[in-house]
Amino acid sequence: MLRRTLLPLAGAALAALLAGPTHAQQKTEITFARFFGACEGDYGTSQDVAKARGECGVMTTLVNLFNATNKDNILVKPQIVEWGPYYQQLNARIAAKDIPTIAVMHTAQLGDYTRYVEELDPVLKEAGIDAGDFTPNARTGVTVGGKICAMPWDTHSWLWHFNIGLFKKAGLVDAEGQPLVPKSLDEMLAHAKTMKEKTGKPYIVIATSGPGDFANSARGYYSWLYDQNGSIFPSGYESANFKTPESLNAFRAFEALSKGEHITKGLDGSGALGGFMNGIGAVYMTGTWRIDDFLASSQKPGSALSEGYTTRVFPSLFQTKSVWTDNHSWVLPKGGTTPANRKAALIFLKFLWDHNFDWARGGGHLPARQSLMADYAKLPLRQNVIDIPSFGRALPHEVRRQFGFQNMIGEEIANIINSGKTAEQAADAAQERSVALLRGR
Amino acid sequence: MSTYRKGRSTVDRLLFLATAILAAIWIAPIVWVVGLSFKPNEILMRTTGGIAMPPFTLKNYSDILAASSVFGWMLNSAIVAIGQTVLTLVIASLAGYGFARTNFRGRDTLFLIVLAALAVPEQAIIVPLHTMVAQADLHNSYAALIVPRLAFPFGVLLMTQYFRAISPEIEEAALLDRASRFKIFWRIVLPLSVPAQVTLGIYTFLHAWNDYFWPLVSATKPEMYTLTIGLASMQTNFAQTEGIGFLMAQAVFAGLPVLILYLFFQRYIVSAVAGGGSKS
Repeated sequence: MLRRTLLPLAGAALAALLAGPTHAQQKTEITFARFFGACEGDYGTSQDVAKARGECGVMTTLVNLFNATNKDNILVKPQIVEWGPYYQQLNARIAAKDIPTIAVMHTAQLGDYTRYVEELDPVLKEAGIDAGDFTPNARTGVTVGGKICAMPWDTHSWLWHFNIGLFKKAGLVDAEGQPLVPKSLDEMLAHAKTMKEKTGKPYIVIATSGPGDFANSARGYYSWLYDQNGSIFPSGYESANFKTPESLNAFRAFEALSKGEHITKGLDGSGALGGFMNGIGAVYMTGTWRIDDFLASSQKPGSALSEGYTTRVFPSLFQTKSVWTDNHSWVLPKGGTTPANRKAALIFLKFLWDHNFDWARGGGHLPARQSLMADYAKLPLRQNVIDIPSFGRALPHEVRRQFGFQNMIGEEIANIINSGKTAEQAADAAQERSVALLRGR
Repeated sequence: MSTYRKGRSTVDRLLFLATAILAAIWIAPIVWVVGLSFKPNEILMRTTGGIAMPPFTLKNYSDILAASSVFGWMLNSAIVAIGQTVLTLVIASLAGYGFARTNFRGRDTLFLIVLAALAVPEQAIIVPLHTMVAQADLHNSYAALIVPRLAFPFGVLLMTQYFRAISPEIEEAALLDRASRFKIFWRIVLPLSVPAQVTLGIYTFLHAWNDYFWPLVSATKPEMYTLTIGLASMQTNFAQTEGIGFLMAQAVFAGLPVLILYLFFQRYIVSAVAGGGSKS
């Protein structure tokens, strides 16, 4: 019985194996490798970019619009991969010579891919894209060794999101009812203590319990490190130093918050987000992309944010105003274009460039174009974050495996917060682990 | 006598209670996953409790179905899992029978080499394997998804051990009747090994169905995605925080075929797990 069932199935499987898929090739096709998810349910056929919301919605709608309206008979075929393993798959594709025409890339990763992506200076000119319109931050992000290696798409950065109701209850607001933002470590701890005494709530809400959450605390660490004009590479990029006074100060800021029970422990991403929206803590450490979600929540009567919500750039506790940033960008991987589809790729890049504001509005990031900043500032609360591209910082492109460093630093800070590790122990561990990372192990 | 019955009854009750508690612990996360899959994502952003309380929605499932590729991914998964299962059974059975019942030069050494392969982790061979498949220009094909997984030493070991446990007298009688070695294998030994075949088949099918890493790096064109890769590609960057219901619906959707498989083959699975069958 089992054999009678399985043999025809085996035959069918082998027949299908031999047949394989086929495609009609009528238009000039370009492949478009990206993360940001798929959302056909909401935006499968939509071309109304102005109404699209969220990274996935805007990207899907933009591609739909381009495919429906371009006059050059171009078909953009998205190749959507989960965010986590995106770069693993891209590496495999490059190795297998199965190279996408256009691919999304964090500029923090760009240094690892310089050999594999086209220099874009001449390409951008050919496409009619004005590199002079890049924001300073976007320009730094896409420039490696003096050459532009990607088309910048945004700047994203790290913020404090405030539950104004809790700040009012704690008396930590100014005359206009806006939250007091600390200007030093001592002041932050004093505010945190007041918050705890007056409301019984922790000052900071943060997600630290899963691999996807480690970036949260690492971005805070980087921001406070840059705040002191510090670096984890004070003497070249061959070896890291996590024991500089600036690095230890950044670790100690988290240690002090943890010891005073001023920061949430053991929450994952959904726990922290849901917790903040339910009022479990006063400040949520996360990125620019959450502003609209929290604004929407604050407008619902009875919500924990209904007494008010606002956001500020991650506060400077030391002497220099600076904050962590990264950028999404578009690259042309070498070998991904053919003479036939190269022009099509440039036309699509120009289309994306012309719709950069749609991405900034709907995707929640800062635009990569300086000329769009004035309009961006008119969106709710964006005035508070508009200056980020002028003082935001990232690790230099010479530093390899930046995502590896981000995860490792985040893990160590999670150990401080959740397991009681000291700042010195975390710095020691980071120091030791950085050796393996720089060796590529 | 009554004391014995009373004692036994108490033990039975305690065993039943312990089993029920274990079952509840095991089922609770599944119930939670199913419950969350019917909740709106905007509600789940605030809390993941209260799964039995309205509002409910089918949107998470309709979003999966709205991605027209999803049935193609399911077909790919089915072809890969069935192909892999059938071919693994054929290869492992033949190899197992060879190792268990035939004598040839270097047999023990070859068997040791097969066993040694059990100790090699997948990650250690992924780069050379990927390069080999790329050189053969096979990526983005069913062959690339199936063939590398056919080298399955556990299957060979399982079948070898099972065949060794079958009484050789049955085969000797057939040999006396001048039956060929293949005929004996096909007509006598193979039917006796059904419990082991089912165990290996289910294990292989589940492994193939849930496989993620190899399809991720080999199938890079959406039309060749398997269900695991396709569903993962639909996740937004912040799925953990803003798309939990959708994430859970994907988990349920991906698990349904396996559940159906279990319902159909339940008898064989229970028999295989219980170690029953027609051995000696």
